Amino acid sequence: MIPRSFEYSAPGTLDEAVALLQKLGSDAKILSGGQSLIPMMKLRLASPPHIVDINRIPGLDYITEKDGFLRIGALVRESDLERSELVRSRFPILVDTTSVIADPLVRNQATVCGNLAHGDPANDHPATMLALGAIVVAVGPRGERDVPVENFFPALFTTALEADEILREIKIPIPPPSTGGAYLKLERKVGDYATAGVAVQITLNNSGACTAAAGIGLTNVGFTPIKAVKAEAFVKGKQLDQAAVKQASEIAAGESHPVDDIRGPADYKRDLVRVLTARAIVRALERVKGGV
Amino acid sequence: MNTIGKPISRVDGKLKVTGSARYSAEFDMPGLCYAVLVQSTIPAGRIAGMDDSLARKAAGVLAVLTPENAQRLPGAEKRLSLLQDNQVYYNGQPVAVVVAEKLEEAHHAASLIKIRYSVSAPKLDFVAGFPSSHPGNHNGEPGDMSWGDVDGALKDSDIKIDQVYTTPIHHHNPMEPHAAIAQWNGDELTVHESAQDISGHRAKLAKLFGVQESNVRLICLFVGGGFGCKGPLWSHVPLAAMAARQVNRPVKIVLERPQMFGPVGARPRTHQRLTVGATREGKLTAIRHEVHAHTSVIEDYLESSAFPTRVMYGCPNVSTIHRIVDLNLGTPTYTRAPGVATGTYALEVAMDELAYKLNMDPLQLRLLNYTENDPQTKLPFTGKHLRDCYTRAAERFGWSNRTREPRSMRDGSQLIGWGVATETYPANRRPASALVRFKPDGRVLVATGTHEIGNGIYTIMIQTAADALNVSPDLIDAQLGDTALPPAPITAGSMTVASVTPAIQTAAERVRTRLLQMAVADSGSPVHDASVDEVDFKDGLIFRKLSPNRSEKLGDFIARNGGQPIEGIAHVEPDETLKQKFASHSFGAVFAEVSVDPDLGPTRVRRVTAVYDVGKVLNEKTARSQFIGGIVWGIGLALHEDSHMDARTGRIVNENLADYHVPVNADIGEIDVSAIDIADTHLNPLGARGIGEIGITGTAAAVANAIYHATGKRIRDLPITPQKLIA
Ligand SMILES: Cc1cc2nc3c(=O)[nH]c(=O)nc-3n(C[C@H](O)[C@H](O)[C@H](O)COP(=O)(O)OP(=O)(O)OC[C@H]3O[C@@H](n4cnc5c(N)ncnc54)[C@H](O)[C@@H]3O)c2cc1C
Repeated sequence: MIPRSFEYSAPGTLDEAVALLQKLGSDAKILSGGQSLIPMMKLRLASPPHIVDINRIPGLDYITEKDGFLRIGALVRESDLERSELVRSRFPILVDTTSVIADPLVRNQATVCGNLAHGDPANDHPATMLALGAIVVAVGPRGERDVPVENFFPALFTTALEADEILREIKIPIPPPSTGGAYLKLERKVGDYATAGVAVQITLNNSGACTAAAGIGLTNVGFTPIKAVKAEAFVKGKQLDQAAVKQASEIAAGESHPVDDIRGPADYKRDLVRVLTARAIVRALERVKGGV
Repeated sequence: MNTIGKPISRVDGKLKVTGSARYSAEFDMPGLCYAVLVQSTIPAGRIAGMDDSLARKAAGVLAVLTPENAQRLPGAEKRLSLLQDNQVYYNGQPVAVVVAEKLEEAHHAASLIKIRYSVSAPKLDFVAGFPSSHPGNHNGEPGDMSWGDVDGALKDSDIKIDQVYTTPIHHHNPMEPHAAIAQWNGDELTVHESAQDISGHRAKLAKLFGVQESNVRLICLFVGGGFGCKGPLWSHVPLAAMAARQVNRPVKIVLERPQMFGPVGARPRTHQRLTVGATREGKLTAIRHEVHAHTSVIEDYLESSAFPTRVMYGCPNVSTIHRIVDLNLGTPTYTRAPGVATGTYALEVAMDELAYKLNMDPLQLRLLNYTENDPQTKLPFTGKHLRDCYTRAAERFGWSNRTREPRSMRDGSQLIGWGVATETYPANRRPASALVRFKPDGRVLVATGTHEIGNGIYTIMIQTAADALNVSPDLIDAQLGDTALPPAPITAGSMTVASVTPAIQTAAERVRTRLLQMAVADSGSPVHDASVDEVDFKDGLIFRKLSPNRSEKLGDFIARNGGQPIEGIAHVEPDETLKQKFASHSFGAVFAEVSVDPDLGPTRVRRVTAVYDVGKVLNEKTARSQFIGGIVWGIGLALHEDSHMDARTGRIVNENLADYHVPVNADIGEIDVSAIDIADTHLNPLGARGIGEIGITGTAAAVANAIYHATGKRIRDLPITPQKLIA
């Protein structure tokens, strides 16, 4: 319950932070909301020698729309997302997601970017960001680079970030009209990590068929967050009638790789993916038509 | 005064919400140092070697207590794991203690201790242990008790239910972990401990350390939840005292959350087979309730799950049997409504199964088997108004609108189910003492060595004294949780109010009489020369009944009479012959509505309605909290709580509050509780039977029965998780 001792720095600018990271290399860990890192340190699952706290860096708590993207800065808390009018009106799928993460106390601290940077397949935002086709903006000594979120999670608890990079921003393409999305999660009780979760984002064309922009992401049914590419490919160009929804959800279930654990056996979780995918598609379709 | 029954707010509420209530770990004293426990990492075997050399050299370390060097305590029970030998009986058993200047240093040093074990094959398979299980008793009551001819009656029964119900290990998980600060002064030991039984712990500590009981003082002003786990004395307290003696300084020990899952008790696992026979009309002819529950290999504890079956229904042939299975786990103990919570789950689900088999309304079945007398002894109850509970609760819930068939009620895509169960809890009372003191400043003190475990007893003490003395509650202070005060029993078994309030009433009567006698004898008093009958004391004033204007303030009277407090002390024993004349139990009826997502499986308890017959309710507000708290526990029992034991190592895997699930506010729907509120004056003068535990009883069954009604699936293994409903 007591972390090992560590050094602590709280740089005042991104440049300083990057310089520190460059100097310290893999000895350093960034602290943002601390809602994953601190518990791991307390349990001594992680014992970073140096903590670089980015909370004092001004100007990172923005949620804005610019150049065709919704931009979420590194210090945007989950609760900011819930409160943002922009998010509420344009991205109900993000509200779905944030509102099922932990509890209000955790959400007041936890950051959206940290939720991705942690690389935990049980976290909820990765699936949603996969469905949304989000882009992660990483800043490091070599400057800034964009990483599509589908390339961001190479392995369990691993991200595409280098040790000296900071996840500065998440960019989400502003969806065209006739788009709807939804995130659904089954938890054993309020506040729990997902037994399984599914995010769906779809755009319909003039004839009501699904466009190429469809995205489906899966939570906690594999070693990484899963982009259900086969299900995505299946829905493209299709009218999403009952039969298509059923088939898409079965394909998505087949793309999941759950394991038996305290939350249930693998078969059960795979079936949850099926049910949740079908429901999330239906929900997304309702939202295309202006439902909430 | 007329405060009894009123919804008075907790007098300690403000202290608690402002953080100024002092819990046992929150005392500081000069020289205080910190101890941490080192626990075994094997379930069975022997310590073959322990290397503490690095720990001893680590910064700040004052002492390392090991089985090699620990003080020998003749007569120490094995269950206490006081480093008296090298044996390991369960995973998580304390095997060493490190004391250091700072908590962090103690922690670090503890991590440096290297232990070699010689491992034996552990007993961890519960069911495999059935053949070698053994009988036991619970609080002196035998585990086995039967009447009539169960086998014969079952053979002749028209209808039979024969099912097995299982419940998992539970850990109490109070918010405040176990904590103790021990300090020696010569042969005198003072301990601040989060405890539900300071007198009991004092006696045990005195015996362990070979000192007079009067040399040991325990203090506990607030308990941040106990639920039974702080009833018994566990290792960390004597270990803190051993450490304090060794370093000759006060030593603090606070258990960490994972340490709450092992050495400090648990609700044992139960396996309950219920065989129920009935006539075609629904009259019970026989019940056999056969319980297997585990204990440790070092001490017997019996989860008395079949006890409620002895009182619940009128049935001519009943057999209740308990068998204990020894496992290499920490000793289990009392957990909120011990035995009754798990037992009413099994019995009341079996009754529901019977109702379906009979094609009868489950409430109707219960009414048909209603008993006015204790079915075993045939003694009348001190008071029983369960019929009113059923009727009133059914009406409030709207039970008559229920359609009988499973899966017949829906709300959109959700399946809706309604379930009912009976609740019961024995009415207990033990000897208790109290003092009431008129203080020179005109205020009144009421004191007894009981425990504020969240039950609201500070408030009830003040209300009791206020009414007994005719003094406003604002003028009264309450003191408790100190063995220097007149002793009170363990705060458990829902008996605190029934035990403590009669002592307060008697002490109040004595101090009042004393005051009036002094007043009439005092030539300076306005009531001088009157007879005691002609004078009265009310709201801080002593006066003549016939001329109330001639009065004197309590403080002025005391000042004039030497400035010394006036005191009444009482020790009150319950009437032991009562048990020969009456049975005494609380009862209640609980109804639950659940919704179940048929494709995903999660259950939500939308609403619960319960009506209780608990005698007189002393404070509507604190009582309501107790009932609701009990129901929330019942929901946790039904749906969430589950300690997962690793089958090879005997460790609890989910030893934290993220993975050990208890319901939170967001999991809970509407809860509607009320009480019949008829005083049971056979038991005690105020007629209160205690309310801390009854809420959890029956509730899990009502939820399980509602789930069956919703889904048509009978899950007989708690908790009812989504996955079990989908399988
Ligand atoms: C009780 C509880 C329940 C929870 N339940 C859920 C849940 O149901 N669903 C869910 O999704 N999450 C849940 N979480 C996790 C929570 O959302 C975390 O806060 C989140 O995963 C990490 O965000 P953070 O800002 O707290 O990151 P931190 O804990 O500060 O950091 C986490 C990791 O990411 C790195 N990191 C953080 N920010 C950056 C950055 N800007 N750039 C580079 N690296 C960075 C850190 O170095 C660290 O390795 C829960 C947490 C708690 C305590």
